[in-house]
Formats: sequence, structure tokens, C-alpha cells
Amino acid sequence: MTHYLQIWLASARYSVTRTLMFRFDFFLWATVELFWMSVNLLLISVIYEHTTSIAGWTKYEMLLLVGTSLLVQRFLMGFFWSSIFEMGRNIRSGHFDYFLAQPGNILFMASTRKVDLDGLANSLVAMGVVTYAAHKLGLHPSAWDLVAYALMIVCGLAIHYSMLVLSISLAFWITSAQGMEGIYFTLSEFSRLPREAFKGLASLAFVWLLPVVVVSNAPARTLLHGIEPRWVLALVAAASLWLTAAIFVFNRGLKRYSSASS
Amino acid sequence: MFAALTKYRHAFLLGLQSNLVYRANFAVRGFFSLFHLTVVFILWGAAYAGSPSIGGFSFGQTLTYFLVMLVMQFFVGAFNEDYQISEEIRNGLINQFLLKPINYFLYRFSIFVAARLVTGVLILLPLLVAVPLLHDYLTLPHDLWRIALGVPAMALSAVIQFSIAYCFGMLTFWFLDIQGFVILSMAVESILGGQMFPLDLLPAGVFRVAQFLPFYYQTYFPVAILTGRIQDIGLVWQGLGVQLGWVVLLLGLNQVLWTRGLRRHTAVGG
Repeated sequence: MTHYLQIWLASARYSVTRTLMFRFDFFLWATVELFWMSVNLLLISVIYEHTTSIAGWTKYEMLLLVGTSLLVQRFLMGFFWSSIFEMGRNIRSGHFDYFLAQPGNILFMASTRKVDLDGLANSLVAMGVVTYAAHKLGLHPSAWDLVAYALMIVCGLAIHYSMLVLSISLAFWITSAQGMEGIYFTLSEFSRLPREAFKGLASLAFVWLLPVVVVSNAPARTLLHGIEPRWVLALVAAASLWLTAAIFVFNRGLKRYSSASS
Repeated sequence: MFAALTKYRHAFLLGLQSNLVYRANFAVRGFFSLFHLTVVFILWGAAYAGSPSIGGFSFGQTLTYFLVMLVMQFFVGAFNEDYQISEEIRNGLINQFLLKPINYFLYRFSIFVAARLVTGVLILLPLLVAVPLLHDYLTLPHDLWRIALGVPAMALSAVIQFSIAYCFGMLTFWFLDIQGFVILSMAVESILGGQMFPLDLLPAGVFRVAQFLPFYYQTYFPVAILTGRIQDIGLVWQGLGVQLGWVVLLLGLNQVLWTRGLRRHTAVGG
């Protein structure tokens, strides 16, 4: 465990040095992410100019939900996105060999190589959105609620990570397919919607089969209504299940990897 | 004149062939856009549950707006033309055009038209799935003038979208990587082009300002004509005038960036 922490710290140090070298890139990408976060927040504020409730959620409750969803996504962008995105390209091009020769778990080495400070900087903005919404709602969560919220964000991160690894792992089978990460972005759109809005088939697909709705709704509900064991268990179970599935599929895919060297 | 047309007809046919190679990718993309439509359906359906009318329009009208927008983008939207142009500049592929009597803008535009023909036809497949499901909600006005003016507005929108992508491609002469600029611009376009919500839901003052920006004309304007969000025909004529103005301005900007960019360009090797 310490061994992996040391490896991760070394990668993080390298990423910080790299960011300091390419400062313009850092500012540009931080602005890009900030703009996209604003797009989602603006959508909410425009809809609430014309209505008072979306599936029973008020404006600031919805802001809390969207802020939570953005927070999980920013952590994913900060800690894993670049590495996993490159993983897909490396599998296609054959450059993935590099990771096979490294001293550690292949998935860990390949998915934690880069840390993006712009994503992490924007996670502070997302936290700000959540805090602002909680303040407007007059919420006073207990320390335990906050611990549960943090734990659920970690579980949500594990689910997003797994979904992304699963999408990218398709490259082991379909080497010609590009833009598979688009699948992840499409699915993550659902995480900004309240659970109550899903009915019938949509509820079955996006609440029960794919955990995209639980990821954001469970932590947001914890801040709004206190700890609800049913939601905590659902999230922990979904996180364990999806992480296991992602590791399994990645390892099966790895067996098919045939490199591309001549 | 005729010889020039023949030249770009070949570019068009070439574009048709090369885009047909990626038909499976485009079809998958088309089907995934149905997921986006599902999000729209759930979000707006929940918003309309509390009020029967938002901004003076029913749920059906708003859903129709998003569906028409989605389909239209497969016919006139710029997908990755900016990256393709950027790659051609970076790899030196544009060098061949500097020596031949071929206008690079028209060459790329011919390929763009061919590509949209392929994606436009392919989006009809997922549409066959979506329309029967949404049939009860969809509501399109039947005025003929809407089609007569909406189609030219769509054509001008295609030129605006391609020109903006072309401008970003040209940035490669100055910057190594344009991806950041493109994704930043996509965020602005998605809001001010009305892709996230119909622009008429914005506060009146902001909406008025948006009407003078090119983003309004690249997506919102043609869709608003076709789906009845713009009621007054006089406003449509006025909008077409501003849209034409933006086309001329952007075409001019393309030319300036190309000429200036070439001064910085270095062609190496044979």
C-alpha cells in the first residue's frame, strides 16, 4: 500500500512540475472546465426562472445536486481522466507495452500516471457551489453527515472511474473505435437529474441498472435529509460492484492485447 | 467557372467516400444522441410537471425544438472539421494546396458538405426509433413560409458553423494545440446557440444581445423558425439579414487568418 502511495506521490510531483512548465495550458483548461460547469449551472437557473420545482426539488436543492455531480466529475478529471484517456490511445497504438513493464498493478499504473491540477482547482469551485446552495437552504449538516457525504463522493468517484475504464477497455476488442469516452459523458448527463424525475423504463435503466443517478442523488440527499442507510448501502454496493466489473473487464481485455510492434 | 465546379465536385465525391468509411462510427454517435434526448425529455418533463407552459410554449413544443435541433445539427453542424484542418496544417498537408489552383476553403467546404450528407442520412435511422416513441408529444407548425425561410437559414447556419470551425483550424498557425480553444468555444456555443435551452427563455435584455451574436444564427435561429418559436415573419427576414451579415464577416475573417497564417507557415521537405 505504501509502495503504491509512493508511486502516486512521484506521479503527482511530476504532474505539478509539468503544470508549472506549461502555465498557459493550465489556465486555458481550468477556464474550459469552469465554462462547462457554468453551462450546467446556467441551465438550472434559466429553468427555475420559469418554474418553481423540478420533480419536487427547489432551485437550491437542484443546485446542490448539480454541484455534487460536478464535484465527483472534477475529481475524476483531476485524478484519472488524462491517464485513462491516454490509455485508450495507447491500447490502439500499441504504446501500452510501456505499462506492462512497470513495477505494479497495470490498471493502477496506467490510470494514475497524471494528475490534472486544473480539474482539482475546479473541484474547489464545485465545493463552493455545494456550500453556497447549502447556505441558501439553511442546512446545518452534522459532522457525521459530512463524513458520510465525503465517503459517498469517494464511492461516486469509484463508480465514475469504473464506467470510464469500462468504456475505454472496449478498445481492447474494437481497436478501430474512437471517441468511446463520449459514452461516459453521455451517461454522466443523467447524474445531474433528481431520482424522482425517473419513471418506468428510465428508472429501471438509469437508477437500477446503471448507477449514474445514485452517484449524485445519494450524497446530495445526505446533506438535505441526513444519513439514509438505504442510500448509503445502495451507493457502496454499486461502487463495489462496478469497480469489480471494471477490473474484471480490463483484465480480460488485457489478455487480448497483442501490442503493435513489428 | 464550370471547370472550377468540376474541381470541387471531385473533392465532394472524395469526402463522400471517406466519410462513408466511418458510417458505423456516425451511426453509433447518432444512437447515443438519443440518450441526450432522453435527458432532455426527463429534465423538461419534470420542469413542465409544475407548470403547463414555460416561456409561452408547451412541453411538446419544447421537446420538438430539441429534436429538430438534434437532427439539424447532423445535417449542418461542424463536428471535427477544426481538428481535421488543424491536422492538415500541422502535418504540412496544406503545402500541396499552395502549389495548385485549388482554394483551400472551398476544398474543405466541399468535404464538409459531403460529410454532413452522410451524417444527415445516418441520423434518420435513430430518428425512426425516436419519432414513434415521441409522436404524441411532437408538434410542428404547418406554415409553408417556415420551410421556405427555414431551409435557407439552415444553409447559412452551415456556412457559419463551418466558418467558425475553419477559424479555429487556422489558429494552428499560431498555437500548437487548438483543442482547449475549441472546447471552450463549444461551451459558449452550446449556451448562446440555444443547445442547452431555447434562447427565448433568457431574460429579455440578454436575449436581445444574443440576437446580435453569430452563435444565435448557427443553431437557434433556423430551429426557431421551423418549430414556431419565432412567430413574426418580419423578425425572420430581419434575422436572415443579420445572419447573412455574419456569413460575410466570418468569410472575411477566414480569408484574413489564412493569408496571415500562411506568412508564418514553413513548408519543409519535398
